Amino acid sequence: MSEQRLMETFVELADTLTDDFDAIDFLHVLTDRCVELLDVDAAGLLLASSRGELQLVASSNESARVLEVFQLQANEGPCLEAFHGKKAVSWPDLSSAGTRWPQFARKAWSVGFRSVVALPMQLRSEVIGVLNLFRSSTGNLGPEELRSAKAMVDVATISLLQARSIRHHELLVEQLETALTSRVIIEQAKGFVAERLGVEMGEAFALLRRFARNNRRSLSDVSSAVVTRAPDVEDLYTTGETGPRTKG
Amino acid sequence: MSLIQSGNPEESRLAQLWVPMSEHARKQGRTVSVELVCDTAAIALEVAGVGLLAGSDGNGRMELRYSTTSLCTRLADIENTVGEGPMIEASRSLAPVLVSDLDNVAAARRWPLYTALAVEEGARAFFAFPLVVGAVRVGVLTLCRREPVALDVAELTDALVFGEIALMLILDEHAGLSNGDGEQPGNTFTLSDPQVHQAAGMVAAQLDLSLDDAYARLRARAFVDRRPLSEVAAEVVARLLRFDIDLGAS
Repeated sequence: MSEQRLMETFVELADTLTDDFDAIDFLHVLTDRCVELLDVDAAGLLLASSRGELQLVASSNESARVLEVFQLQANEGPCLEAFHGKKAVSWPDLSSAGTRWPQFARKAWSVGFRSVVALPMQLRSEVIGVLNLFRSSTGNLGPEELRSAKAMVDVATISLLQARSIRHHELLVEQLETALTSRVIIEQAKGFVAERLGVEMGEAFALLRRFARNNRRSLSDVSSAVVTRAPDVEDLYTTGETGPRTKG
Repeated sequence: MSLIQSGNPEESRLAQLWVPMSEHARKQGRTVSVELVCDTAAIALEVAGVGLLAGSDGNGRMELRYSTTSLCTRLADIENTVGEGPMIEASRSLAPVLVSDLDNVAAARRWPLYTALAVEEGARAFFAFPLVVGAVRVGVLTLCRREPVALDVAELTDALVFGEIALMLILDEHAGLSNGDGEQPGNTFTLSDPQVHQAAGMVAAQLDLSLDDAYARLRARAFVDRRPLSEVAAEVVARLLRFDIDLGAS
């Protein structure tokens, strides 16, 4: 495995952390690169939900996907152990794992895997998920591969925690506040139009919406123009199906 | 974690934050001021500084009304000088702008001039909350940190509430009510009632006023009549009360 390619992977992962960051895309890149760069045949990634339950998020191929889901269903296996124990779990020969994980060992063997490594995605005391690496040969992962795998897991963990907080928590607040403000502007505009045309609030709203649709503008944009007396919405008071009405 | 503990769950967060500020002010024979709100927010939210900026003059420049630390003052100066940054963006977009790390590529790409200078001053995180009622822009509440640490959920919630309190105090001032009578804002001035905003739109049209003046008229009328704002607003919407001509016998 080349240092160069590993660095490129870090850059690639960092580059996905843009405004339209998509966690699923990001983690698929990670599992694909694990298979490409490390001496492994499949990779699967599970994340803990806010209630602390692991869920399969990405896998490099179908057999890894099957095995991950199987571990969750059987409630046993290296990924659960790494998650709960908060440390890496390595099993170099699955033929001797029959007593530890009887169901998982049999299933893994049946889809062709002979050894497994599970790395917790951990930041300080918080474990947010697990990366599972499967191999079709027995033996431990080499020290260099293991180090690289851990580095990739760390990068993914930090990125996700960042994405989680920014994309969900902060972005949620920004979007929610924007929506609330837009809602208030629409109410203000309704009042303004209702007064200017001597109509009820419901009709004022219908007029605003129709004007927005006919002019291919958003309702909040039109509403904002109304309350700031922008000249480009003057037609709202003179045209339209109802036409201008005199007050009162 | 927010330092002010949640008390009675029946009580709104606004009330929980208002009561200690109100008691503190009363002991000093004063009413709650926006300055006190900023000072309290700085401690409660564990930030390095809190700033309050008054509305933009159209060129994007904002006037610093109060700042708890010189860092916040300098950050406001930087934005006014270079004409870009989270405070100006919050004022323009009417949405909070939350930057938990100023010293990274994304922030630098967004505001190349501002981030370099802000980081040089020692700021690493900056949060700007526009104080707005729909299209009415009153100002911006800013928070800064010296470490790249995001506001957690509780802090973010409280920051929004502190902003709401500051907003209502400023609207009170604008209505000539000089911080009200120390009463909790929200008791008489609810911003969650859509009829209040509809009424403001109607009054603005009746008197050809700006919206902020329309809110001031409504608020002053409610205060004089000793009635809740939402009650006055409902009458305006029902066309029982007008501001351009006197319909009633009162």
